Amino acid sequence: MKTIVSVRNAVKNYSLGNVVVPALREVTMDIEEGDFLSIAGPSGSGKTTLLNLIGCVDVPTSGTVEVAGFDTTKLKERDLTSLRLNTIGFIFQSFNLVTVLTVMQNVELPLLLQQKLSAKDRRARVAALLERVGLRDYAKHRPNELSGGQRQRVAIARALVTRPQLVLADEPTANLDSVTGENILDLMKELNRTEKTTFIFSTHDARVMAHANAVVRLADGRLVDRVTPAEAIKAQAAPAVGAH
Amino acid sequence: MRAGASLDTLKVIAQMAFRNLFASRLKTIIVGVIILFGAFLVVLGTSMLDSVVQSMSRSVTGSVAGHIQIYSAKAKDDFAVMGSMTMGDPDIGQIDDFVKVHDTLIKLPNVKAIIPMGISGALVSPGNTIDTALEKLRNAIRKKQAGDTSPALAAEITSQQEHVRQILSVLAGDMKNLKTIAANALGQDELDNVTKASSDAFWNDFNKDPLDALEFLENKIAPLGSDADFLFLRYAGTDMDAFAKSFDRMKIVEGTNIPPGRRGFLFSKYVYEDQIKLKTARRLDLIKEGKEVKHNTIAKDEELQRLVRENAAQVREIVFQLDALKTRDFRSKLQKFLGSQENDVAALLSSFFRTDDANFSARYDFFYKELAPSLDLYRVRIGDTLTIKAFTRSGYVQSVNLPVFGTFEFTGLEKSGLAGGLNLMDLVSFRELYGFLTKDKQAEIQAMRTAMGAKDVKRENAESELFGSRTIEADATPGLAVPLRTADAPAGGEGIGNRLRREDLSKRVYDPAELESGVVLNAAVLLKDPSHIDEDIAKIQAAAKEAGLSLNAISWQKASGLVGQLVMLLKLVLFTAVLIIFIVALVIINNAMVMATLERVKEIGTLRAVGAQRRFITFMLIIESLVVGLVFGGLGAALGSAVILLMHSVGIPANSDIVQFFFSGPRLYPFLATSNLVLAFLIVALVSALSSFYPAWLAMRVTPRQAMQSEE
Repeated sequence: MKTIVSVRNAVKNYSLGNVVVPALREVTMDIEEGDFLSIAGPSGSGKTTLLNLIGCVDVPTSGTVEVAGFDTTKLKERDLTSLRLNTIGFIFQSFNLVTVLTVMQNVELPLLLQQKLSAKDRRARVAALLERVGLRDYAKHRPNELSGGQRQRVAIARALVTRPQLVLADEPTANLDSVTGENILDLMKELNRTEKTTFIFSTHDARVMAHANAVVRLADGRLVDRVTPAEAIKAQAAPAVGAH
Repeated sequence: MRAGASLDTLKVIAQMAFRNLFASRLKTIIVGVIILFGAFLVVLGTSMLDSVVQSMSRSVTGSVAGHIQIYSAKAKDDFAVMGSMTMGDPDIGQIDDFVKVHDTLIKLPNVKAIIPMGISGALVSPGNTIDTALEKLRNAIRKKQAGDTSPALAAEITSQQEHVRQILSVLAGDMKNLKTIAANALGQDELDNVTKASSDAFWNDFNKDPLDALEFLENKIAPLGSDADFLFLRYAGTDMDAFAKSFDRMKIVEGTNIPPGRRGFLFSKYVYEDQIKLKTARRLDLIKEGKEVKHNTIAKDEELQRLVRENAAQVREIVFQLDALKTRDFRSKLQKFLGSQENDVAALLSSFFRTDDANFSARYDFFYKELAPSLDLYRVRIGDTLTIKAFTRSGYVQSVNLPVFGTFEFTGLEKSGLAGGLNLMDLVSFRELYGFLTKDKQAEIQAMRTAMGAKDVKRENAESELFGSRTIEADATPGLAVPLRTADAPAGGEGIGNRLRREDLSKRVYDPAELESGVVLNAAVLLKDPSHIDEDIAKIQAAAKEAGLSLNAISWQKASGLVGQLVMLLKLVLFTAVLIIFIVALVIINNAMVMATLERVKEIGTLRAVGAQRRFITFMLIIESLVVGLVFGGLGAALGSAVILLMHSVGIPANSDIVQFFFSGPRLYPFLATSNLVLAFLIVALVSALSSFYPAWLAMRVTPRQAMQSEE
């Protein structure tokens, strides 16, 4: 398998006034193409920071992050944006749809930014994806006319519409009830299988971890280990986990 | 995203922009209304101002100023055609050789005509009613002394004597009243003089030495007539022929233009009505105008009430004009009209003029039909000779007799005191009054030298002997308004200079070459195409410099002095208003946009995260501002245009004389210029751009990371 993400000694510090807050300390990890990986850990463990570095929305303070062969620390802001547009798809915890656009337009938006496809091709691809996420009949609706699960499906369609190599999802089910959350994960998993898209999602929910191929556990900004979902769930259930 | 965003991207941006605007309706409406108001004000204000400036330009350029005024570069004061607030004339130097100036400048392709001018003013006393009556009597007596023994003349003399006695009795009555009110108001001498003049003894002796008696009346009694006043007449000396041809708005109302090469005076119709007309009649005209044109009523309008009060109180001017015959005539007519038993004509007139809204029209008609024909409605009539005495630049008094050829007005500016304040005279007379030596003057001096040869004129006294006010004033006829015929009958005792002037000058026809060759103070330049006055000024100055002439050239705005400054003031007010709105709009719009941007941090962050470049965000916000600016700015401009177009078809009435000057007629029909719309558009665009600058900068700084931050 080919490595799509390679994180080497990544450190990320945030400064709050005079205080430097370390969010990520010397993380090193590889993610392979086609992976369905969960990043797990309690709040403040650095999950979101790691996702931000992998998602090219941030660069490490030190160390390197390579995404699809590009060293993000060496790219300019504009090139990082292009990389996000063409290589990465994003699914947000609170969906982050553009409220003033229809479902169809929300999904089409990255394609418009890409300016690669003709209008006809764009519509075809959007329609196919909406069909795929089960929202064919909602193309003309506005996000606020949809339920949370439906909105997240729109977000998934938007993330996949450019056929990215990598999809990042930050706590994709946190704002959804458990049944809906399961459905969303099933959908993601299915897309991972059929489209060969790499999925990385953060969560602290054991039921969500259960869907992953592997779980990378973080604590206090450090990578703890990389385990199977079963191990992760077991460890989380045991009261001693925090003492690791 | 490439700069040439594809149509579909643009469509989505536009759609997002539109929908965002709709989603935050309140913000959009607040911002929009401000922009709407701003655009409305800019279109309305600039259109109105342009229209006023243009009509004013028509008023000023079409009357005396021309498009450009030229004057000597040696001028000490600023030049103002329309006059400054001070009575004195500014020292603007002089153009020594107008012919050279004319020939140099007329070669410029855009110059249509150059009219020589000089503007000055003088106090003129057209004489009071007593003076006029005494003058008539003196003329009749002179005729008799010249040997006319016709019964008609004898009857005229008797009638004139009665008239003077009538005036004296009124005057005596007045003085008695005054004496009872304020014992010390009058000197005993004055009272004695009136008592003496009213006495039968005085009139029994009158025929023994009528001229002596007349002199007594002229010197001692006439000054007591309260209606004696001095007129300050502003006049322009000019080449009348060129003036009438070049200023096509000039129109002769009564009489004729001053014939080419002749000396003469033309009253501005406005001055003629306002200053020369019998005050009572003038006030009646004003009341009529107020009622019919301005739709005021005597009952409500204070100005009209004042005019009615003054007419009722000031009937003396009419009473003085009445000899015994006319007094009887007026008494019976007024008694009949008013149904009154009152015998005193003054009281009858007073109650006749105490008009109200109901009876005004009937009384106005009665006055003009029945009473006016017996009155001298104008103190100076067309055909009379007007004596103008002016202080020359060097300070001595110069006097010129000029036949009044007629009255003129500028079409559209009939009621404007500003345009109508200037009377016209020929250039030769002007030069003389201004103190330049004309050929006539030189000849006159020569003649005087010859005539006075026996007298020893000392060199140091020469000036006072020759031009001293004593000589000239003594020669002047007492009643300044002298019918032309007296000019034909010079009486003994006249100075030689005066005779020369009377015999030769008013009849003399001048060679046009002399009119042009002399000194002028300034000149009006008329252009073929007046749209680029500044360029033409530069060309004129360059041409003058090349020809070795030291000339100043200024635009009509500057030349029109106070009036031009008023335009500047209007512009300043408009500019300030626009500026304030501009700033307020900037602050409010900026605020609203910043709020809107902050509300949209997450959305912007999301767009950035999914791959939108910064310029996409900027572009989106700019389109939002632009849409608001264009839609509401367009609405405002359309509204402003609609108002202007409406006013263009209806016209804005000018309700005062000054406004009429600004409007160049009784109504202003404002026009809409593309430039005003462009200006409004530019301002709206600028406000939109400036006010979205900071929010756009804020938006650009939103990082995709901010999309991840969970809110709530």
